[in-house]
Amino acid sequence: MNTQYKKGVLELCVMSILKRRDCYGYEISENLSKHIDIADGTVYPILRKLKSDGLVTTYLSEDSGGPPRKYYSLTALGLETYEADKKEYLSFAKTVETLLEDEDHDKK
Amino acid sequence: MTKSEFLLQLKNELKKNNISDTDDILSEYEQHFAFKCADGFSEEEIAAKLGDPAELASQFTPNTSQKKYYGRKTVTVIGMVFADLFAGAFFLIFFIFAAVMGVVTIAAAVIGICLLAGYNFNNLIPGMPYLCALIYAVSLLAFAILSAAACLYFIVFTRQLMRSYKRFHINVIAGSAGKATLPSLPVYPLLSARVKRRMRMIVLSSLTVFAVSLVVGYIISTIMAGNLEFWHVWGWFAK
Repeated sequence: MNTQYKKGVLELCVMSILKRRDCYGYEISENLSKHIDIADGTVYPILRKLKSDGLVTTYLSEDSGGPPRKYYSLTALGLETYEADKKEYLSFAKTVETLLEDEDHDKK
Repeated sequence: MTKSEFLLQLKNELKKNNISDTDDILSEYEQHFAFKCADGFSEEEIAAKLGDPAELASQFTPNTSQKKYYGRKTVTVIGMVFADLFAGAFFLIFFIFAAVMGVVTIAAAVIGICLLAGYNFNNLIPGMPYLCALIYAVSLLAFAILSAAACLYFIVFTRQLMRSYKRFHINVIAGSAGKATLPSLPVYPLLSARVKRRMRMIVLSSLTVFAVSLVVGYIISTIMAGNLEFWHVWGWFAK
């Protein structure tokens, strides 16, 4: 699949994970690679981009006892963007699906 | 590829792509290795699953907002230097105060013990009947305990205050550089309920003993001297 295209969708997936709860980078990477076939390292550039766009913030937490972990958290702007992008993506995906199915029918 | 090879290659590729804050990015990948290693994967497996370092580095877009942060950081650091000087002066006063309290504690304890033992080096302690000396000794020893408790708490308090300030200092500078911050620390020392209870018990009982024995000491002194201003009778301030 086109990397640029995939990246946009992955951003949406990362935000959806972060909407549920704050996570550290590795958690997000594991969560994503369970469902989608991507290189494990791809998540970090996405997180960084989301951060520089102001959609997520980071904070350190010492709760786990070990060295402080960097947690990512969705900002208000991030949540807003997520909801809008999700709607857009779902309607787009639906359109694509109908289009492709129609083409299948025409062939028969 | 081993972990260090991967990280080195990634670092070089990031530099090639003009990406700032490479340490921040590298530490994220380092943590990834640490987590995966804990799950029993070998460094080679982890590196292979992470992907090609060159490919990954190209996905990091140069951070254009870094410049804005840079300007802010310089101003913040200058501000923090002044804040540190100001806070440092306070901490110095706090330390001196703690030292004074420590000296007062030791002095009270030493005089109390001397009175108790009837030991009067060079006649430094004003003369009085032994019964009065005994009561004043109890009073002074109670005061020494009270003062020691206060001194100890003050030291703990100052330590916590310094820790809290240090965290604040680190967070302000990290925040101005757009990096992640740690939660702030409380200003007051967090003592366990047991320690608090014990502390309160010691302070209250020593305060009571101190006050009661001081008053009793005065009353007995006036009775024994036959004068409300017993110190004149015993010639305390006569040369």
